[in-house]
Amino acid sequence: MSAPDSAARTAGERTPLMHGLTFRQAAATLLIVLLLGLLAGAIELYSDWKSMRAEIRAQTERTLQLVHGPAAEAAYLFNDQLAAQVVDGLFAYHEMKQVVLRDNFGKVIAQRDREDGAPAGALVHFLFGDITAYGIALKHGSAPTGANDVGRLEVALDAGEIAASFNQRGRVLVAVGLVKALVISALVVLIFYFMITRPLLALHAAITRIDPARPGAWPRPSLRGHQRDELGQIVHSLDELMQAFQRGLEQRDRARDENTRLGAELDVSRRIQQILLPSRAELDAIESLDIATYMEPASEVGGDYYDILSHAGGVRIGIGDVTGHGLESGVVMLMTQSAVRTMLTAREEDMVRVMDVLNSTIYNNVQRMGCGKNLTLALLDYHSLHDGAARGRLRISGQHESVVIVRRDGQVEIIDTDSLGFPIGLIEEVAEFVGEIRLDLHQDDVVVLYTDGITEAADEAHRLYGLERLAGLVAAHHRDSAETIKDAIVADVKRHIGSQTLYDDLTLVILKQR
Amino acid sequence: MKSLEGDGYKVDFDSGDSSIRLAGSLRLGGLSEYAPISQLLDESLDGRSTLTVDLTGLEFLNSSGIATLSKFVINARNRKDCALTIRGSNAIPWQGKSLNNLKRLMPALELVFD
Repeated sequence: MSAPDSAARTAGERTPLMHGLTFRQAAATLLIVLLLGLLAGAIELYSDWKSMRAEIRAQTERTLQLVHGPAAEAAYLFNDQLAAQVVDGLFAYHEMKQVVLRDNFGKVIAQRDREDGAPAGALVHFLFGDITAYGIALKHGSAPTGANDVGRLEVALDAGEIAASFNQRGRVLVAVGLVKALVISALVVLIFYFMITRPLLALHAAITRIDPARPGAWPRPSLRGHQRDELGQIVHSLDELMQAFQRGLEQRDRARDENTRLGAELDVSRRIQQILLPSRAELDAIESLDIATYMEPASEVGGDYYDILSHAGGVRIGIGDVTGHGLESGVVMLMTQSAVRTMLTAREEDMVRVMDVLNSTIYNNVQRMGCGKNLTLALLDYHSLHDGAARGRLRISGQHESVVIVRRDGQVEIIDTDSLGFPIGLIEEVAEFVGEIRLDLHQDDVVVLYTDGITEAADEAHRLYGLERLAGLVAAHHRDSAETIKDAIVADVKRHIGSQTLYDDLTLVILKQR
Repeated sequence: MKSLEGDGYKVDFDSGDSSIRLAGSLRLGGLSEYAPISQLLDESLDGRSTLTVDLTGLEFLNSSGIATLSKFVINARNRKDCALTIRGSNAIPWQGKSLNNLKRLMPALELVFD
């Protein structure tokens, strides 16, 4: 994938602000800190409220006790002046809404009321309404002799006034809480941003720039200060993953290249095998023999070889099988074809000499190739005869598969060629191992040459086609033309193989004496 | 006892009972890869009047291997100082024709099929 493409992807996937990590962290932190602050503030306010109530109650009662003496004195003596002093003294507290001093008949001796106080709301009344009224009985005389009730001092506190300071504290608490929440949120967001969000964004940017064709070359981000933590581990794991992907891709590419190369090599091998085969016209031009040929390369092209070369004195026929498969086998086969033709052009009739030179040529070239390839090779030299009953003479030389001959009366002859030669290209000198068999051919005699692809063709149960079945089939069709015999054999071998893969080349040469 | 071991094959030379055993499947690529085995085979002939090459466990031998074995037999033939026995198996397809060819290279070779 190209760079502009991944850039477009990055732009397209930019996260909207509201969905961003930073925003969500900020929102969540703010909410949590606010809630916690609210809870803590409520608890603080509640405990404040409780202690404030207790304190007001205690303080008011203490104050009343403090003025008990003068108040009782004033009530006892009906001293209006003193009473007024006491009431005024109490009234100096700005929480006091009303101060009343009564005698023991309930008559007011002195009273002060504050009128300017704002009317208390329901909440204020709820919070402090129950602690506004206080009163003490005024007693005169000492306790052991018995004290007399001389009157009563009553005060009423202004709930609004008490609440005002409480409200003040509440407001401060809320304000401080809010500021605290904001500051904590900001800190958390900042810390998160620098510790997590920013490196994550860098990682994300790096991931979006990965080229799927070359994951190993991804811009691995270096997150400063995160080499040892989880983020560093993520980058490390991701890098390992990318490198593994890269190796996988390279392996796949190599396998594909190798397959392409092998495929190309197979095509070349197949071409090599077919390129020098004799044409139908060449075969038809040979009057003394009815000839049919067949060659089918295996899926992995082998090194089968056959050739039919017409020359002044007759026909030279070669059939062979280079060991192994592929290009090298094909090359050895080409060299063999060329060497056989060269020896023919040089008019070499001596089969021992032909085989020896051929072997030497192939052996030395195979040594150069360093591959140890060799081949079975049978060479047949045919001459027409013009006097006597026999119409042709065949000389057979070289080690290859057995030659099948079916006489015109249906009699089958199998000629083992093992002792007629040696694998070509295997050892330096083969002259001493080369032999020759001569036989005469009469009209309608059939000679069948083949490679082991035919006899060793296996069916699904790994049973081989075999020489016997081949010979039997030729015997059954020996009255037919070479072409018909060939077709019958090919059809029968194909039937035997069934759906199995063809593992070796199939080569067949049928000669029928006209 | 001297051994060579590779992917799917093993070569054991036992100088005590004068035998060298090749087992497994030999599919080395080219003559040069057979050089160590070739060398061990030739070494096993040194100063020995008899040698048995046991191929009964050699399921597969490619053409380079057969070429190596042929070279070894020719070497043994040319030295004339060591009686060579090759043991093969009828159950292994490649051995029939190839071992008979070895016998033709060195008629004095004793070929034993199990």
